Amino acid sequence: MITPQFLFAIGTLLAWIGWGLALSAVAKLARYFGGDPRIDRPTELRRAFISAGLGGFALIASSQTNLLTPTKATGVWRFPLTWFVMPFTAWLMAIAVVMIAVRSVQSFLAITPEERKEKLQTLFGWVIVIGIAGTLYFTDPTSKIEVLTGGIELAPATGAGLLFLAVAAVAGMTLAAQATRSREMARGLMSQLMLLVGSFVFGIPFVFALVTSFKEDQDMVSPSGGIVWIPRVQQTLPYLDKKTPLYAADFNGKAVQATVLDRNADGTVTVDIFKPLSIRGTTFQTDPAKLKEIPRDAPIVTAQLNSQEVTGFVTEELEDGRRRVEITEPASMKGQVQVFEPAQVQAVRKAGLRWQNYEDTFSYLPPETNNGLVYLKNTLILVIFSVIGTILSSAIVAYAFSRMSFPGKEALFKLLLSTMMLPAAVTLLPQFLIFRGLGWIDTLFPLWVPAFFGSAFNIFLLRQFFKNIPMELEDASKIDGCSYIRTFWDIMLPQIKPALAVIAIWTFMGAWNNFMGPLIYINSPENMPLSYALQLFQGERSGEPGLLMAFSVMTMMPVLLLFFFAQRYFIEGVTLSGLGGR
Amino acid sequence: MRCRRPILAALGCALATFAWAAPSDPGSVSPKRDLVIWGVSIGADSKGQSAVIREFEKRNPDVRVRILSMGAGQMDPQKLMTSIVGNVAPDVINQDRFTIADWASRGAFRSLDDLIERDKGKDPLTPNVSDYYEAPWKEAMYDGKVYAIPTAADNRILYWNRKIFREQADVLKAAGLDPTRAPRTWTEILAYSKALTIRNSDGSLKRAGFIPNFGNSWLYLYSFQNNADFMTADGKKCTLCTPESEEALNFMKAGYELLGGYENAKSYESGFLGKENDAFITGKVAMKIDGDWILNDLSRYAPQLDLGASPPPVPDDRYNKVGRFKDEKDTFITWFGGYSLAVPRGARNVEDGWEYIKFATSTEGRMIEYSAQRDWERRRGRTFIPRMLASRDANEESYRRFKPADKKFAAALAMHIEMAPFGKVRPATFVGQTLWSEHVKAMEAALYGKASSRDALVAGQMAVQRELDAFYSKSNYPVIDLAIPTYIAVGVLVIALVIGGIWFSRLKLGRLAKNEAMWAYLFVAPWVIGFVVLTLGPMIASLFFSFTQYDVLNEARWVGLRNYQEMFTSDRTTVLKAFSNAAYLAIVGVPLGLATGLAVAMLLNVSTKGMRFYRTLFYMPAIVPVVASAVLWTWVLTPDPSKGLINSFWKETLTAWLAVPPPTWLQSADWAKNALILQGLWGAGSGMLLWLAGLKGVSTTLYEASGLDGATPRQQFWNVTFPMLTPIVFFNSVMGFIGAMQEFDRQYVMKPSKDGPIGPDDALLTPVYHLFRNGFAFFKMGYASSLAWLIFVVIMVLTFTQFRLQDRWVHYETDK
Repeated sequence: MITPQFLFAIGTLLAWIGWGLALSAVAKLARYFGGDPRIDRPTELRRAFISAGLGGFALIASSQTNLLTPTKATGVWRFPLTWFVMPFTAWLMAIAVVMIAVRSVQSFLAITPEERKEKLQTLFGWVIVIGIAGTLYFTDPTSKIEVLTGGIELAPATGAGLLFLAVAAVAGMTLAAQATRSREMARGLMSQLMLLVGSFVFGIPFVFALVTSFKEDQDMVSPSGGIVWIPRVQQTLPYLDKKTPLYAADFNGKAVQATVLDRNADGTVTVDIFKPLSIRGTTFQTDPAKLKEIPRDAPIVTAQLNSQEVTGFVTEELEDGRRRVEITEPASMKGQVQVFEPAQVQAVRKAGLRWQNYEDTFSYLPPETNNGLVYLKNTLILVIFSVIGTILSSAIVAYAFSRMSFPGKEALFKLLLSTMMLPAAVTLLPQFLIFRGLGWIDTLFPLWVPAFFGSAFNIFLLRQFFKNIPMELEDASKIDGCSYIRTFWDIMLPQIKPALAVIAIWTFMGAWNNFMGPLIYINSPENMPLSYALQLFQGERSGEPGLLMAFSVMTMMPVLLLFFFAQRYFIEGVTLSGLGGR
Repeated sequence: MRCRRPILAALGCALATFAWAAPSDPGSVSPKRDLVIWGVSIGADSKGQSAVIREFEKRNPDVRVRILSMGAGQMDPQKLMTSIVGNVAPDVINQDRFTIADWASRGAFRSLDDLIERDKGKDPLTPNVSDYYEAPWKEAMYDGKVYAIPTAADNRILYWNRKIFREQADVLKAAGLDPTRAPRTWTEILAYSKALTIRNSDGSLKRAGFIPNFGNSWLYLYSFQNNADFMTADGKKCTLCTPESEEALNFMKAGYELLGGYENAKSYESGFLGKENDAFITGKVAMKIDGDWILNDLSRYAPQLDLGASPPPVPDDRYNKVGRFKDEKDTFITWFGGYSLAVPRGARNVEDGWEYIKFATSTEGRMIEYSAQRDWERRRGRTFIPRMLASRDANEESYRRFKPADKKFAAALAMHIEMAPFGKVRPATFVGQTLWSEHVKAMEAALYGKASSRDALVAGQMAVQRELDAFYSKSNYPVIDLAIPTYIAVGVLVIALVIGGIWFSRLKLGRLAKNEAMWAYLFVAPWVIGFVVLTLGPMIASLFFSFTQYDVLNEARWVGLRNYQEMFTSDRTTVLKAFSNAAYLAIVGVPLGLATGLAVAMLLNVSTKGMRFYRTLFYMPAIVPVVASAVLWTWVLTPDPSKGLINSFWKETLTAWLAVPPPTWLQSADWAKNALILQGLWGAGSGMLLWLAGLKGVSTTLYEASGLDGATPRQQFWNVTFPMLTPIVFFNSVMGFIGAMQEFDRQYVMKPSKDGPIGPDDALLTPVYHLFRNGFAFFKMGYASSLAWLIFVVIMVLTFTQFRLQDRWVHYETDK
């Protein structure tokens, strides 16, 4: 009668109860330490223990019932897990069924007719929900319910260890909680713990990007499956290559590394550039006296030779992939040269950072961008002009709207407010035609000139600030005979510096992030800002995550630095407007 | 904080001087004529290409060739079009041949006939039709005129790994197959694929026999083999959906089903690497159809590979010459692709451009390229295998001079040349680009199982036909002179100014008041001018354009409501898709984001040590530039669990516990949007600041009062905190939806394939992206404007109704 399925169902049910009790135990403990005076603390603690005990028992029991079903390894506790994957409509139906049951019981138990009526009303509401969800569910041909079953496998020793740890932790906390002072501490510890978990989740993509930007290609995929978290670098040795020496040379005023191709009849030599990568393979003629021999970086490897481990460095990679290795250790074989198959040699790598990725990123950028500095320059132009333009224009317009009176003010201001919700999409195409008419395609003008015409939102915001400045200040300056411009510049503007800083930061972020603008208007690398260059770099080097991450990290760095130093304004900005993170 | 300011200033100064110190472009003062070439990327290994350019510069000493790599080197049609429209076009463009007709039809390229005619017989380098294979030459023509000169002409053959065939000889023999030869028919290749495919114990692929669209075949090759046409002979009707194409697509589908479905195969492919770890070299794939460009890499990274090269398998009936194929001459069919050099309209230096084209496409030029490349490879100890060319003459010469020494590679190259006369090309039509993207879309939809082969093809065909009809019905609509509305606008503006002036002068104002008003008008002038020129004017223009058909290069035509009609009829599925994608992002993403923010805020609201540190950390992801974040997340979400961060965790937990295979995220139509939401959640920590402000804003008296009444913390949360926070929830849900409709950057950066649909099955398409695509990639200004107005109306309606609704359920503190 007892089929494996039945047993599994029992086990699952037990496991669900177990998980639920365990979670509620944690919640009760949290409440116990929560310091809420209305809670009966000893009762709460007792309940927590009961929940934990029952939950643990249910979990262990569930792992036992499951022994009948085949597990992957013996001597393992397997806590069953079951979950339904179903469409949203099906979930809605399930919830509605439960709610209907609850409400009918409640209406049955209701004391007053009013209460019963209320419960029945909500019950009816849920029936409607079932109807709608059911129709949607059954008319959609793609909806299906999947049951996922599986389990977490734990060795008994590990399980017992975890259990012991949990018990120890609870006991420790109980003891600590005896005194109020240490209760505070326990509470602090708890929230610190949760914050740390949160930081981990939010921080790990950063760490991943940083680590990846320092990894060698072979670490991008680890043979064992997991992610490689500690980058390792190939160890090298300076090696003066006598066969094909490497030279430091000068190519149009640029320091390059090169090898000699030919010796010409007129005494010059033709050399072939090896580094930087962007011009690798370019050949030019030069005077041999100008060449200076420099060592190569020869990779260190180990290999088995006559069943003895030897260490050496690769002096040459042969055409067929074999490596010529000069042995350095053991001392008895030092200087010996041996040829190995590629599979025979093992690279010697140590934990370290591969800065080469950053160097390579620079040298892969087109030469006319001068190692990417031109991108940075363009972005800075955009940022600086946008910030100056936005601040000046918005402030002066806001000043007029808040402190001066003129006919038609109300109407104009209403017009301004109504443009605040206007999507940029509507004006995108005609604006392109306007800038085309001005001959501004492939220049930076379309990207920063509009900033000088103010933005409705900023004007609105600054107007509020101007309004809060006491009238006396302005009157005083008027009596002194200051012009409106002087009053604005000398008296009013300094009063709203914090608001200006916030707007400056928003504009900065907007200009630094602007991607669609450059995508539409910019063609040549000389005029490209960073954001667009990064996207193109991704398209070109999609197979090289090390370089990609290096470029990404370099693009985020300036913004993150600004954030660290001007954090106050970022945070003020959010609370100022309620427009957070946008 | 005070002491930090100097640091910040110093930082800024350092950054600025650093950037400006960079000497930008040292050679800009040269007296030479600039010749700007796009679409040619000069990498470290393209020595042949640079040799040709150097030789050209030597022969034309007063010309300086400028190759713009990155951005312009990678040819993005949107980029080229904006440059032509914006009058900053390059002089020569290296363009994929099948799109030539498209560009020519829009008047974006210049016909080369007059130049050919002029130089014929005078200059030996002038391209001669009779030297070229017929198909590629025709591909570069439109409406009887030559618009480009073909360069390379790659064709596809079947590559197979003889070693795997040998090792699996028993299996193959057991299936009744001959292990010593390649499959010749569709039925055969499926049987071979089945026999050669191996799976791991968990059902994932260990080796795929044959992945129909791995390498380079697409639906085109199989359709060509099945005698499918994509266009009628007169070019007026699209015939993407024919029984022949449907059969071809079903063949691909069958090929994928052997491998456990398209998605499974895609996720298998996402683990493939390059160079020496190439999937074909390492035997992860036993057979593939690919072009001649892979030969160089194969000879470099796998000289020992036991390579087989055969004609691509054809439908059984074609091979056996029965049924439809009874009278067919050619047994095997291949497909030509390749590039060509063209001159865009508005090029500033046509003469030098033409000289360059003549030189670069001539047999002499090609041989200079190949010998320079060969020498470079030789110096690096590598072999060189010449690429296939569109000129028969040059091809024969290059085979004679540069044939690889290794017999198997020579045989493969010979196979490519042998197949060249049987090459077909994509129809030379101005809808070539659309046909291509619709074909990819239809193929993916069918292979993902989103639609039947027939439905998918019909949908694609309709989209193409729509464009054809629009083109041919063009002349039915009246041309309008754009100068007239411009004059009207200027006139209205002048009249408005005059009326305003009169109105102002009639006002009874004192001298001081008048002075103040004058100053005030001066002060608000920036915004007013900006509003009129950059907002109001464009809005009216956009409304006007939405009733026209206008591509900037040609005259505008008044089409009335046709654009709107199109939006709700033929383009309805795409428009709906775009809006429903935005709705999904808002409905699922915004609440999740708010919840994340709230969770973080609740944690931070208790005053703990290190609050500043945590706040910084949770806020940081929101500061990361959008493009950088998107690039980072594309890598984090890589489907292969040994590379992607998320999937490596997924594999350790969910796969281990519940046997749920990790999703393919951006690669999969179902998960792509969830991937975006996940990336969005990373930045959602910033929302905590808003919550923090909200939480601290809830006045303590309310808590005290409710506490006295004996409310539990839970009751306090739901009855006090939550109602006070509803304005935030409300505001964010409105903004979230409006924001999602206008999203673009992330989608643009994270979409997995550069052309075709935006994400698998258009899963990443948003309304504004659709507008951008129509406006700037196709320059359908009229249709894009009508889309803009649809978006505008939707946003306005939403904003309005939501603000109306807020009175009902949002709780505002009345005294504020």
